[in-house]
Amino acid sequence: MRRIALARALRLGAYSPPMNAIEVVGLRKSYGTLTAVDDLSFTVAQGETFGLLGPNGAGKTTTIGMIVGALSPDAGKVTVDGESDPTRPAIRLRIGVAPQALALYQDLTAEENLAFFGSLYGLSGARLAERVQWALDFSGLADRKRDRVSGYSGGMQRRLNLVCGLLHDPPVILLDEPTVGVDPQSRNAIFDSIERLKREGRTILYTTHYMEEAERLCDRVAIMDHGKILAIDSVEALLRAHGGPPTVEIEFPERPASLDALGGSWEGLRWRVQSERPVEILQQAMGAGRPFSHVSIERSTLEDVFLRLTGRLLRD
Amino acid sequence: MNAILAIAFKDLRLLLRDKADLFWVLGFPILIAFFFGSIGGGGGKRAVMPVAIVDQDRTPYSQAIVKQLMSSDALRAQEAPLDSARLLVRRGDLVGYVALLPGTGESFGFGGDSTSGIEIGVDPRRTAEREYLRGLVTAAIFQSMRGSFAAGGGGRDMVQRSLEKLRNNPTVDPDLRGRQSNLLQSLDRFMSALDSSSTAAVAGTATGDSAGGGAGGPNLRVVEIAEADTGPRTAYEVTFPSSVAWALIGVCMSFAVSIVYERITGTFLRLRLAPISRAQVLAGKGLAAFLASLVAVSLVLLLGITLFQIRVPNPLLLTVAIASSAFCFTGVMMVVATLGKTPASVAGAGWAIMMVMSMTGGGMVPLIAMPEWMQRISNFSLVKYAVLSIEGAVWRGFGWNEMLPVLSVLLISGFAGVAIGTRVLESRDH
Repeated sequence: MRRIALARALRLGAYSPPMNAIEVVGLRKSYGTLTAVDDLSFTVAQGETFGLLGPNGAGKTTTIGMIVGALSPDAGKVTVDGESDPTRPAIRLRIGVAPQALALYQDLTAEENLAFFGSLYGLSGARLAERVQWALDFSGLADRKRDRVSGYSGGMQRRLNLVCGLLHDPPVILLDEPTVGVDPQSRNAIFDSIERLKREGRTILYTTHYMEEAERLCDRVAIMDHGKILAIDSVEALLRAHGGPPTVEIEFPERPASLDALGGSWEGLRWRVQSERPVEILQQAMGAGRPFSHVSIERSTLEDVFLRLTGRLLRD
Repeated sequence: MNAILAIAFKDLRLLLRDKADLFWVLGFPILIAFFFGSIGGGGGKRAVMPVAIVDQDRTPYSQAIVKQLMSSDALRAQEAPLDSARLLVRRGDLVGYVALLPGTGESFGFGGDSTSGIEIGVDPRRTAEREYLRGLVTAAIFQSMRGSFAAGGGGRDMVQRSLEKLRNNPTVDPDLRGRQSNLLQSLDRFMSALDSSSTAAVAGTATGDSAGGGAGGPNLRVVEIAEADTGPRTAYEVTFPSSVAWALIGVCMSFAVSIVYERITGTFLRLRLAPISRAQVLAGKGLAAFLASLVAVSLVLLLGITLFQIRVPNPLLLTVAIASSAFCFTGVMMVVATLGKTPASVAGAGWAIMMVMSMTGGGMVPLIAMPEWMQRISNFSLVKYAVLSIEGAVWRGFGWNEMLPVLSVLLISGFAGVAIGTRVLESRDH
């Protein structure tokens, strides 16, 4: 109903949503001597999927906590849908959160968990039953809805954790590491769910330390480390700016001396060289007159971007 | 309000599904009450009824009845004057008394008016004991009659005298006179044919008359003697109020730990991210603990009332005492939840405090059995006030005036606990 009302208001010109669903300016949070978030600023446009990519301890969860009003920032300002106080009930109704920790009651069933959390958002009666059924279908847990959560696999619990934050049909969704500790099958199911939410035009803020997830799901990515944003842009732009050229890797049965002039590095009989023109490199290697036992051209990844920006790997 | 109720009912549902928690909240207090009640001799009290026997008739027939009653396995009978007997019953020292008034021997306990016959004095609430005692006295009357007749002890003369007296007494109701006259004439005919070998038949006939009841039976009048309720009647009246402390402690600890558990598992974060205030979240938790305490204490006491005849002279007072105790320990729960940041630390600190409060407050040693110095220490334990409020409503015979200071301590402590706990828990969320 609210979405219909919103659409009608948009048609009538009575409501103009702000350009940015989320605005973070100069956000800072410290715990004693540890600065968890240090002068963080970014915006998330309406309908955009924005990723915060960084290793554990980078400050992603603290940032989410301040955006939703669970933590008070030491400095800075957060605006969600044009409102600077995210603790206001009207704003909380527009935000859905899937916390990193599994926020579920293990001794309740999936249906009971959903009904309980839905009731906190003012849902009741037929509307609550309808949304609970939607959530069960969306998460693929309808056939296990009367089982206690304690009997679920990690992946099933993650899916339930995700939909508990979507019951009230929020336009802004914050997902904090939603695939931690799940099997590949459940991870794909979660990706499918998030892509469906993207197609519905919802604004998504997604934190992860898996660069594949950021590359697959996010329109723009902010790379975080030690509470700071090191770079922020679309994946392609980040790769172009910080990832370096593609890498050509060729393995020979015996080492040809004629390739030394092209640079690169040797690991045994495997030759690796980075170049903006990988096809030309490949042609020159073929001209060396030696057969290849292996060849590949790899473009750079966000892992490379992080490595270049911090000197460390994401998983360190 | 809907959100508060939703949180409260969710917590109660979780409590019901956790068998270990449920045991500490309900099973353990009942076991404690039953165990210590049995040790205290509470279990054997109902088998033998302490009664007083008053013989104002002093005839061979009345003395035969006294002898029958004194030798009964169902009674612990002692002879006493009527005034003393009434006092002992009023004080609750005896279940009742049986008074053989002057003229009992003349009428065999059947005839006479309100100043003669046999009087049974018993507390009006002890209906089961009253009927049991009435049955024992009736049996004693017939046993004595049988003995009297079988021994050839002038039974026919007594019957004739009784018939004569009945005819000459103008105050006796004509209908009653007719029935009793028929009975005595039957007895006379029966005794005339009686041979000493037919005593069994005598008993059968007499019992048949007794079973007829009404005005044809013995002249037994029940006098209601209200007990003054000045002490516990059984050990269970002491142990069940004490076990209430364990029920309150069980609920308190269960919910205090659940708050911390929710904080570390993330469900508390989800509650706080909902469009409800922090106060509503904590109010929901408090309401759940309050309702759980209310139900647990009520169930424990209900068990004591139904199975162990615990008295509740003033149900309203008991209800208020239960509610006040539940509220007090809801406040304690909120404070205990602030004592640590992990379930283990809260459980450790909480149980340490609770054990001391229970030991000094009457949860382990009954308040009534404490030496004076320990009773002074117990003033610092909230368990004492919870137990005292229940005991006050059960066997101490408290009125509202005596109960008010106890309830005040419970309610003020409850408010203080809720205020402190809420403030500290809210401050931690930042």
